[in-house]
Amino acid sequence: MAESRQPGPDAATLDLRALTGSRLLDDVPCYISIQDRQFRILEMNRKLLEDFGDHHSEHCYRVYKGGREPCVECPVARTFDDGQEHTSGETIFDRRGLPHAVIVKTSPLRDPSGEIVAVMELFADITVQKELEHRLHDSLARFRNLFDVVPCFVSVHDRDFRVVEANDRFKESFRHRLGGYCYEIYKQRHEVCPTCPVADTYADGRSHAAEEIVIDSAGRQLHVMVYTAPVRDSQGRITDVIHVGADITEMRALQEELASLGRLVGGIAHSIKNVLEGLRGGVYVVNLGLRDNSQADIRTGWEMVQRNVERLSAMIMDMLYCAKPRAPRQVPVSLPEVTRAALQLYATRAKDLGVTLEADIDDSVPSVPGEPRDIHSLISNLLGNAVDACCADEDKRKKPRVLVRIGREDQQAVIQVTDNGTGMDEETRGKLFNMFFSTKGAAGTGLGLVVARKVAAEHGGAISVESTPGEGSTFTVKLPLGGSA
Amino acid sequence: MSVESGPARKILVVDDEPDVCTYLSRLFQENGYQSACAADGQQAMEAVERERPDLITLDLSMPNKSGVRFYREIKARADLKTIPVVFVTGVTGPGGSSADTERFYRTRSQVPPPDGFIAKPIDPEEVLGLVAKLLGGSAERR
Repeated sequence: MAESRQPGPDAATLDLRALTGSRLLDDVPCYISIQDRQFRILEMNRKLLEDFGDHHSEHCYRVYKGGREPCVECPVARTFDDGQEHTSGETIFDRRGLPHAVIVKTSPLRDPSGEIVAVMELFADITVQKELEHRLHDSLARFRNLFDVVPCFVSVHDRDFRVVEANDRFKESFRHRLGGYCYEIYKQRHEVCPTCPVADTYADGRSHAAEEIVIDSAGRQLHVMVYTAPVRDSQGRITDVIHVGADITEMRALQEELASLGRLVGGIAHSIKNVLEGLRGGVYVVNLGLRDNSQADIRTGWEMVQRNVERLSAMIMDMLYCAKPRAPRQVPVSLPEVTRAALQLYATRAKDLGVTLEADIDDSVPSVPGEPRDIHSLISNLLGNAVDACCADEDKRKKPRVLVRIGREDQQAVIQVTDNGTGMDEETRGKLFNMFFSTKGAAGTGLGLVVARKVAAEHGGAISVESTPGEGSTFTVKLPLGGSA
Repeated sequence: MSVESGPARKILVVDDEPDVCTYLSRLFQENGYQSACAADGQQAMEAVERERPDLITLDLSMPNKSGVRFYREIKARADLKTIPVVFVTGVTGPGGSSADTERFYRTRSQVPPPDGFIAKPIDPEEVLGLVAKLLGGSAERR
């Protein structure tokens, strides 16, 4: 640029001091120099002389920047070109090589004819400000980082409930572009929520808290504890509301688990209480017998004691069985054989109760690998339930009947127990496999089907149920036949 | 059980747990009452018609809600509704307190509250005290 420029009037002939005013230049607390069209320094003020040394007639680009050629962007050149004042930010190096961040301001110096003969350059040293700016930038970055990594969803909401700022955690979980409505993002609603802590904070300028259920981008429900706080400008007016959501989903799940554990313990206590009552009754009757020397009472009481000790131990075995994960033995179990044994067990009881036990056993069903005792308890539990379901039925027109079927489907053995008893409604079916859920009152432990399902699962199989209230139920267990079948 | 008193008061024990039935009925017999047992709501209704008991103990946690139904039937019948009924509450919340169960039954508006509660495990002294109070302090009919 400098080469193309016309050589100006001889600067040496100009009284520069006259052009620029006075020695005032020396007194101002900033650097001032005057350059000609060739970027030669014609004049330096005292502060510049002190910090940079005497460089009269040298090229400014060399003096200030150590450059060999004029700078690409040069406010002096621009002022020569257009006669306007120009400003730019530069870094210059003093005589000791120390950098100074400066704001440069250039203005034209004209001779009486109005021609620009020189350009005055004024450097305002902003090194300290620059340093502050850096620190500000650093601390902003640090806050931004905190904002992003804090283990909460942080968002800033304007008065229209638009999210104008959000942290990374929020953006990741809610795949959200700034500017969307919070109720859409968080709740997939189309209008403002009926109760809203953000609106409350806008209204009263205070913090608010709420527990909300929100839905993330993956469609998961999250329990979130929300805190809101006003963001104010320098006049104290609320400009935005910051919304901080702590994900407490896991805590809630844990609470739920603890509650169900509590119910479980309650169930255990209740079952044991019933047995205990029977035991106490037995002891009471035995004591009467001992007092009165009555063999009949002693026998009755002792039977009560025995029966309840038996129940208690069976219950505890079931409970232990439910509590312990284990792999069953893998011996060949003949389902027809085990089923006949279980039927035998219930023959007397069914007869007493007037329930017909029927069996449809395909003896060609190969044995399944597993633990015979477990399979036996699975089948007897289902049989016992079926007989009970018939007894509980109040429809006296039906002839109570239980059918056990052993068959085969592809590579699976099928055990099916059907009764024409009470049947179950939807609600009962849903709770069927819950520990300690029983429809039999004191007579049930609420463990039989839990055991049955566990046995089926441990043998690689599954249990399913079909039921119609008033008509009866069918439990179907499918067990894999194993490789050798 | 003095000689000049009338026949013993009769208590019907309704519980699906046979051992509990035996326990309670023996306890009542030992203390000068007559007793009878019923294992479900239907048996209980038959026993009430037949025996006309002076008091009924009823375990509500019987299968098929037959205990509740039986209680409703009793309370709906003019000739039976004055028979005192004591609930035997085995169903308790976690923690084992029967207070919640009692409050539950007391606040049901569909049925009148029972005349008393016995919580399992049964305390014989408490049961006898409650029964004596409800029957006017004596095991014998006056």
